[in-house]
Amino acid sequence: MKHAISLRVNGILQRLEVEPHHSLLDVLERHCGVRRRETCGIGMCGTCTVLVDGKAMSSCLVLAPLAGGTEVLTIEGLARNGRLDIVQEAFIDEMGFQCGYCTPGMVLAAHSLLRESPAPTTEEIRHYLAGNLCRCGSYEKILAAVHTAARRLAAQSTEVKKK
Amino acid sequence: MIDDRQRVTGQISYVQDLALPSMLIGKILRSPYPHARLLRIETRAAEALRGVAAVLTRNDLLNSPHIDPIYGPQIKDQPVLALDRVRFVGEPVAAVAAEDAETAALALQSIEVDYEELPAVFDPVRAAEEKAPHVHEILHQVRLGTSAYFGLRPVAGTNICHHYRLRQGDLEEGFARADLVVEATFRTPAAQHVAMEPHAVLAAFQEGGKLLVYSPTQSPFNLRDLLAEMFHLPPDRVQVLVPTLGGSYGCKLFPRVEPIAAALAWQAGRPVKIVLDRPEEFVTLNRHPAVITIRLGVTHAGSILAKKVTAYWDTGAYADCGPGVAQKGGFSSVGPYRIPHVQVDSYCVYTNLPPNGAYRGYAVTQVAWASEAMMDEAALALGLDPLEFRLKNILRDGDQFATGEILRDVHFEECLKTAARQIDWQGTGFERTATAEGRLRGKGLSVILKGMTTPSRSEALIEIDEEGVVTLHTASVEIGQGVRTALSQIAALFLGLPYASIRVPDVDTSLTPFDTRTSSSRSTDIMGRAVGLAAQDLRRQLLEIAAPRLKASPQDLTLAGGLIHVVEAPARRLSLQEVVRQAGRGTLKGRGEFANTGGLDPETGRGIASSYWHQSAAGVEVEVDPETGQVWIVGCHAAVNAGRVVNRIAAELQTEGCIVMGLGSALFEEVCFDAGQVINPNLSDYMIPSFLDIPPKLGFTLLEQPGAHPHGLGETALPVIPAAVGNAVADAMGVRIRDLPITPEKVLRALKAPPTGEAGAEEEEP
Repeated sequence: MKHAISLRVNGILQRLEVEPHHSLLDVLERHCGVRRRETCGIGMCGTCTVLVDGKAMSSCLVLAPLAGGTEVLTIEGLARNGRLDIVQEAFIDEMGFQCGYCTPGMVLAAHSLLRESPAPTTEEIRHYLAGNLCRCGSYEKILAAVHTAARRLAAQSTEVKKK
Repeated sequence: MIDDRQRVTGQISYVQDLALPSMLIGKILRSPYPHARLLRIETRAAEALRGVAAVLTRNDLLNSPHIDPIYGPQIKDQPVLALDRVRFVGEPVAAVAAEDAETAALALQSIEVDYEELPAVFDPVRAAEEKAPHVHEILHQVRLGTSAYFGLRPVAGTNICHHYRLRQGDLEEGFARADLVVEATFRTPAAQHVAMEPHAVLAAFQEGGKLLVYSPTQSPFNLRDLLAEMFHLPPDRVQVLVPTLGGSYGCKLFPRVEPIAAALAWQAGRPVKIVLDRPEEFVTLNRHPAVITIRLGVTHAGSILAKKVTAYWDTGAYADCGPGVAQKGGFSSVGPYRIPHVQVDSYCVYTNLPPNGAYRGYAVTQVAWASEAMMDEAALALGLDPLEFRLKNILRDGDQFATGEILRDVHFEECLKTAARQIDWQGTGFERTATAEGRLRGKGLSVILKGMTTPSRSEALIEIDEEGVVTLHTASVEIGQGVRTALSQIAALFLGLPYASIRVPDVDTSLTPFDTRTSSSRSTDIMGRAVGLAAQDLRRQLLEIAAPRLKASPQDLTLAGGLIHVVEAPARRLSLQEVVRQAGRGTLKGRGEFANTGGLDPETGRGIASSYWHQSAAGVEVEVDPETGQVWIVGCHAAVNAGRVVNRIAAELQTEGCIVMGLGSALFEEVCFDAGQVINPNLSDYMIPSFLDIPPKLGFTLLEQPGAHPHGLGETALPVIPAAVGNAVADAMGVRIRDLPITPEKVLRALKAPPTGEAGAEEEEP
């Protein structure tokens, strides 16, 4: 028995009929044109991380019917008009990736962290991102990327305040 | 990285993102038994389901003259689907192609299979005995060619599919003259690569009987050739396309899921895509478990006289590249040392476990675990500093290795001294007092050598068209190691261009020139040379065309910033685009090819094992909690010989990645089996390192020498890590653990055990 839900994905309103046993990961792939990034299927790896109302969540663990009424942001929705956002730029500048498979989830989780804690310590970053696995082992450079993003976001908001 | 923007925006496509019109989804039915006769398979119910386009079983494979259903990169022993029997839990027995994944899964459930169980064997030492159940009834056809470059030596009447032998000097004499002989046995478990991207493949038969395969494979040409043979096609009727890989570390080397997908596509007459789920990954390809016994004969003064190695490699139910692993592990077990009397017997053995194959570090992790532990044990027994003991015997430039080859461009001493210095090694004077919290402190060192695929061959093609667009055609596969960026940097050097302006299209075996494969950290080196030669060829052509137009001779010209100009008078210049247009020959092409040569005599195991030897050392400092058994890595430093670094950030990332992966192997990674079944096939029960496992001090040094050639290092810093951790833990506890991984349970058992100096082998580890 399908459920009718409506949710916003990357700013676009979606009205969908979803299976009760499907996950948000399934919905995003089947109905919203989002590339499926799934490594473990049980919420342990963070590869499928998306932002649900601004908070990082493993989309494989969110039941589709419960995603109704939410605002979902995936990696496809971060860049605006072809311009990368500050976190994405920082990941490029610090080369915080190798194969790139964990990168969408990692970037989004970093977003969620910086929203909650704009000036995180290394320890805070390690604990917040502990659920985002990177088998290529890019952890040191991902740390650097998050620090750089935090610094740039702080500088940007200082700029805004000055104005 | 040249496509870094796509990686952070999610725009990069992996095979699972691809689709073809009328594509079906494929799923695999797998054996629940480790060894059984396949009696009956009933598929009519599955075939009748709405949405099911094809069901494939052995009947389809055996009844078709168009398919040769058995393949294998070194021994042709693996069927696309089980034919007369199943040989491991998880072996593919049937496959379904349907309109969607749910329908395919439902169809699998309605397939009935009857089995008759047979005795099974799960340990390589037991499996090597003559009385063990035979995993394969007949010895299969050996495959020669680009994948196997040695003579296979199976032992008839046993499960031993290859016996690599190495002999140097006179072992008995060596031990007779030794003042001290030490011996111990070490074990390493199966490990899983856990590439974040699962295995995926999209296969389709096209008009005119051409087979198209999209696969994240590290060996596109090998895959092409094996599929061509399987479907009785000439190789140029099989096209393998390789987008970027989401990690591999060896698990996507050689045919994996492609044969099943292609056979389903053939059966269904439509394209078929298969994407494995995580539990399936654990029964597809793992790292070879090994049981290695080393006997070392040394003098009081600390010279190693004799070394005897007996190694058993559990290759699982199908050999894959197990013979190569047994060979490489065999000669690598000698270690980077001068030893006059050597005997190595390295056995590749079938068992009823999932197949084992290439894994980053390729057998050296296992042999280093054993060999570098023995170095410390011998040093301890002699009362010598483990560092001094190693340095006394270490191979230097011009020394002869046990295979008989003379080593050049070796820097083991510098690697080892660097690692030791970085962890502030103080030898036997290290103050082994407990920390304030009561933790035991220890330090450990290790040094390794690892071979590179020898012989092998790489070709490259660089084109520049009339728009001035430069394209590099190389079959080196992007796994995340940044190889395509590094190669474009090499080309850019000769062509005076920004490397990001060079296009590097994905591998397409119908267009891209030949490369043996992307493995054994050979690409920056061997393909790098081919790319350099191709770039120089193109450069020469460009200069020859430009010279008369600039009223100069070619040697007066140079390339820089996309232009060719006279060195003495830069204002006299042409753009590359102008040069190509004025040549009037269309697109200009530069070609380069490089092959490294060598090989080992099958009788003696001697010859040229490797044209270049990867070299690294590690120093690790640990604290061991005697109450919980937890091992804390306080500091870890790897020293890797790089020669000349092409792309520094990529080299750093690869080295850090190796260290992290090595820590996982050292402390917690183990594929666990119970009666042949994987009991931890998920990322909750099989853990890989996370942010919380990174040590507070993680460092590395990339050694470079002026004028040196770039050397690969995608694996080099991995095998040294478990060995160094093992040595540090033994140093801390005063007792040695001989089985990887070093779990808290093993630490506690070792600390409570009577002080015999042996903490070793567990009886039947679950």
